[in-house]
Amino acid sequence: MAQVELFACSRLCYTPNHLAAMTLDLFQTVPQIEAMSAELKAERSRHQQQLQEALELLGSALDVQALKRKIETGKTTWLVAGLESGLGERFPLPPTPPDFYVVATDGSHIDIDRHRTASCYLINVGLVALRYGENAQAHLSNLPRLYSSKEEMVLSLPLSGNRSEPLRGELLGVKRGAEECRRLCDLVRQRAEPSPTLALLDGSLILWGLTGGAYPEAVVQELLETGLLACLGELQQLAEKGPLGVGSYISFPGNTEVVNALRVAVCPREPVDCDRCSREGKEKECERMAGLRDRDLFAGLLKPGERSPMFYSRSSIVRRYYGRHEVCFFYLNVEDEIARVEVPRWVVNMGLIDLTHALVYDQCRRGQGYPVVLSEAHEQAVLTGADRERFWEMVEETMVKEGMEIKGSAKSDSKRTRWI
Amino acid sequence: MTGAIAEPSRVGEVVEASTASFVAQCYELHQPPPLGSLVRTRAGSIMIYAIVFNARTGSIEPGRRPIARGQEEEEEGDIFKSNPQITKLLRTDFEAVVVGYRDELLHQYLPPAPGHIHSFVHICEKKEVEEFSGRLDFLDIILESKILLGVDELVGASLRYASGAHADPRAFLVEAGRALASSLGGDLHRLNSLLKRLK
Repeated sequence: MAQVELFACSRLCYTPNHLAAMTLDLFQTVPQIEAMSAELKAERSRHQQQLQEALELLGSALDVQALKRKIETGKTTWLVAGLESGLGERFPLPPTPPDFYVVATDGSHIDIDRHRTASCYLINVGLVALRYGENAQAHLSNLPRLYSSKEEMVLSLPLSGNRSEPLRGELLGVKRGAEECRRLCDLVRQRAEPSPTLALLDGSLILWGLTGGAYPEAVVQELLETGLLACLGELQQLAEKGPLGVGSYISFPGNTEVVNALRVAVCPREPVDCDRCSREGKEKECERMAGLRDRDLFAGLLKPGERSPMFYSRSSIVRRYYGRHEVCFFYLNVEDEIARVEVPRWVVNMGLIDLTHALVYDQCRRGQGYPVVLSEAHEQAVLTGADRERFWEMVEETMVKEGMEIKGSAKSDSKRTRWI
Repeated sequence: MTGAIAEPSRVGEVVEASTASFVAQCYELHQPPPLGSLVRTRAGSIMIYAIVFNARTGSIEPGRRPIARGQEEEEEGDIFKSNPQITKLLRTDFEAVVVGYRDELLHQYLPPAPGHIHSFVHICEKKEVEEFSGRLDFLDIILESKILLGVDELVGASLRYASGAHADPRAFLVEAGRALASSLGGDLHRLNSLLKRLK
């Protein structure tokens, strides 16, 4: 019997010669993909019903003031959007100025590799400045910077004595984000004329990687205050000299904060208390909308070019550290999708939302559905696998020329020299 | 038809070089030197002369192809106004077949070394074209070159261009026709086809 099983197994595992190099066993994977697809289909139909209900709720006469209070006093296990005004208003596309600038940066980095001899990392920032109107012009460049000194390998924490934190992985990503924002300030300063400008970043302004207690408070504070928030402060000063919209663009956003506000609205309890509901084990009213995303909601509501009302983030990191840069956001129908645009609070207060709205939409229209300035900044910043390999080769070649011994880890050598 | 001699200027720089030809990238998009024109570049102490034969404009990155963008624009120029980044993402290159060099003297045979990468490429001024085409030995280099564009097309273009630098363009072309007859020997069909290109 054992022999038969062994034979059955070897037959199943058999792969023709031309597939011999593949490590993913497609024979086993395909049925799983098919099962997943069937499940997604069923979910989609359930999802349509949920969406219909959510849109009806949005269209109904919600008491916004009461909902605001309910959100502020409730205790939920999910993040709920802060409301500025209503939920279901639609704001038409504002006019685009005849002459304007759009600037953006994006970044890519080569992390410290502990299997290599040299302890260093590289941050490459892509910079793009586009001028539209009479004197249409473009500036595309990238700025690689290598960090290798002992001081640059750690995040010093001046407020916590002589403590420091190794700068790698998530923290290096945050440092890179700050570098992108710093270069964005440079681009704004370098404009030839103070025409209306949009300064755009990619992704969220909320540094989610620093949340959840993964890092000591001093690390979070240091990174935010000397990094992103300092740069946003600089942009605010620049905005005082001339119209400057500042935002961060999120394509295909997965957020559910506005849907969660509707979940609060349908909750029969006041104050809302998720923990209590869970303990009692009763069927939850809010489950009717679970699984919906904000982008589904606004896809059913906004016409092309229109934006949603303004919301603000109630995440703990924003409440605790961001202050005047509190993250506000709106959703925008850019025709191909619903995008989320995050802006610091002062952009709202300084009346720069219409400019941000108009220019983000204009960028998407010119960029086949995605801001052209961001896709070019990405093209400038991106480091391919080949770039990374070449970088390490150059580092090692240079060290050899200087007469230094190259000693990487055995693991690294084994990855580079595969053998049987 | 004789061509007007292009204004002498620095048009680009060498990005690929071999003994027999080089590729240069233009500084201005869509502005390569004319087909058949004489250009020069420096390789150390020698000046290399070459004839432009294949200009092309395309994406700076092989993986990114241009797409149609003008459906809503009234004029073609508006496409560049609405998408200013395009000028930075496209490039115009041209190839040139090396036809001679100058050290102390002017030679119409291949130089001892190829051009240097990043050497500037200039369009030759009228006097230089006149001087260079005062001898027609360079025609044999073109006739024997292995270029993708038709060799005879290039011979015709270079002679029509050079004729613009001579006081009597027709007399120059008649002289060139004689030189071609001598080089092509009994290949009357090809000679005939070439002579048609000099009109």
